[in-house]
Amino acid sequence: MLILSVESTCDETAVAITEDGRRVLTDQIFSQADLHAVYGGVVPEIASRSHVEVIAQLADRAVAVAGITKKDIDAVAVSYAPGLIGAVLVGVNFAKSAAYSLGVPLVPVHHVRGHIAANYIAFPDLKPPFLCLAISGGNTMLVDVRDYTELHVIGATRDDAAGECFDKTARVLGLPYPGGKHVDALSKQGDDKMYKLPHIKVEGNPYDMSFSGLKTAVVNLVHTSEQKGERINREGLCASFCRAMSESLVPRTMKLAQELGYDKIAVAGGVAANSRIRDDFKAAAEKAGKTLYVPPLSLCGDNAAMIGCQGYYEFKAGNRAGTNLNAYATMEL
Amino acid sequence: MRILGFDSSAKTASVAVFDSEAEDGLLGQYFQNCGLTHSRTLLPMAEDLLKNLGLTLGDIDLLACSRGPGSFTGVRIGVSTVKGLAFADSKPVCGVSTLQAMAYNGITAHEGSVICCAMDARRDQFYNALFIIRDGVPVRLCEDRAIGTQKLIDDIENLNKPVFLVGDGARLCYNALNDFKLRVVLAPAPMRYQTAWGVCMAALREQAVPAGELLPVYLRLSQAERERQERVFGKAGSDPQTDKN
Ligand SMILES: [Zn+2]
Repeated sequence: MLILSVESTCDETAVAITEDGRRVLTDQIFSQADLHAVYGGVVPEIASRSHVEVIAQLADRAVAVAGITKKDIDAVAVSYAPGLIGAVLVGVNFAKSAAYSLGVPLVPVHHVRGHIAANYIAFPDLKPPFLCLAISGGNTMLVDVRDYTELHVIGATRDDAAGECFDKTARVLGLPYPGGKHVDALSKQGDDKMYKLPHIKVEGNPYDMSFSGLKTAVVNLVHTSEQKGERINREGLCASFCRAMSESLVPRTMKLAQELGYDKIAVAGGVAANSRIRDDFKAAAEKAGKTLYVPPLSLCGDNAAMIGCQGYYEFKAGNRAGTNLNAYATMEL
Repeated sequence: MRILGFDSSAKTASVAVFDSEAEDGLLGQYFQNCGLTHSRTLLPMAEDLLKNLGLTLGDIDLLACSRGPGSFTGVRIGVSTVKGLAFADSKPVCGVSTLQAMAYNGITAHEGSVICCAMDARRDQFYNALFIIRDGVPVRLCEDRAIGTQKLIDDIENLNKPVFLVGDGARLCYNALNDFKLRVVLAPAPMRYQTAWGVCMAALREQAVPAGELLPVYLRLSQAERERQERVFGKAGSDPQTDKN
């Protein structure tokens, strides 16, 4: 079964062709990172403008590169929530009209479910159930993946997403957008014990998270040292920050896996590209005798193949949308 | 040639099927002015209209939409819809100026009348263009622009011709112009707003393009770009294409 899938929830426009969920024929991604770089972050209106400019060419190119014809497409899947509303609207309206023109079913896909499904592409043998930590610029959640389309959020951030925290840290240190990879690179040269940063404190659900305290601590640290005329050790701060982040995420995930009795743990989303988090997960999983799944960097960020993959399982579960499908800025998993 | 036309550039939304070989052109049109999000309603309207006309998308030769100016999001919904509908058969598409499409609402006005198209662009501005009726067709007198009330009044005074006002900014405009004792007629409600029929009429005189080449026209930068320009170049240095008169 061939699925054409569309992703436009943030600053990547992408169209993929996937076969039976896990085989990626092509994943055409147009990254807008350069357009947003001068603003130090994603500007929603600029993102929306860019999506509508390139989406039709990307779809045509995906078909050509995959070596198929449009008549071969069996369904269209689209990332319809959550995301920047103006941006998601472009993908949704293109995708549902394309499905209508092809006369094939339209399958709505939750963006974070797509991130989790990136693991199915990277690891052909991975099957639910497993525990997944989904961490990106917009979402941070611990998900009990009981089946392909039966997912339960056990804990989530109560304020900022982990990725927002990375972006803010990068910005306050004057690092270029997108900042995550620069924070990662600097952290490798720094002492992770140089700065003392706060750990998560959340009342109630022990698997909920909060990152606003960490973010504020980083911002205050930088501003205070600026006022005192001291030079901040950027490498040390990045290393300390990545450590604090990792120590908030990794032990919590391991503990939950133990509690749920899972021996498979997956990580998904843009922040899963961070090397400190990857390394710490690897060590923790080894120590606990659990199998760890982390997608390659190319599948951590936003892409359309992951939407096509999850779309396949949503299709098999009977999920369809009509021509009245709308886009949503927020949506429960 | 059969055209499936769309307008979703403001609060109203409409879809029309137009056949250039039919005597009166318009085969059918759906129109809404209820504020429901176009993302939900636009494609179902097209689907229903085609079904009720006994047609399929395969019977359509050209897809057309208003490409702006107007609500940034609304325009993008129309453009994305048309691009998607063009996908399966690589159908040609045509984007027309919202103001040009709207000018067809004025073709019953007397020969030589000026059609003033005014959309409320907020921030004390109108998206505006002026047309004159010649041989029953609106002929453009100026480019699409975002202008303030005073500039619009000056331009209309200088033309010294009877004026027919259309658009969702027409009433605002009418109130302003009335004080100057100009010969101005406010289009009645059913003829005031842009329609997909107007889009089809305008599309007949425009070049069709592949879907990939269809681009919205905003007449304005995004807020972030505008603020950055002001910061970097100062207000005076900002792009005349954007917000200034
Ligand atoms: Zn994402």
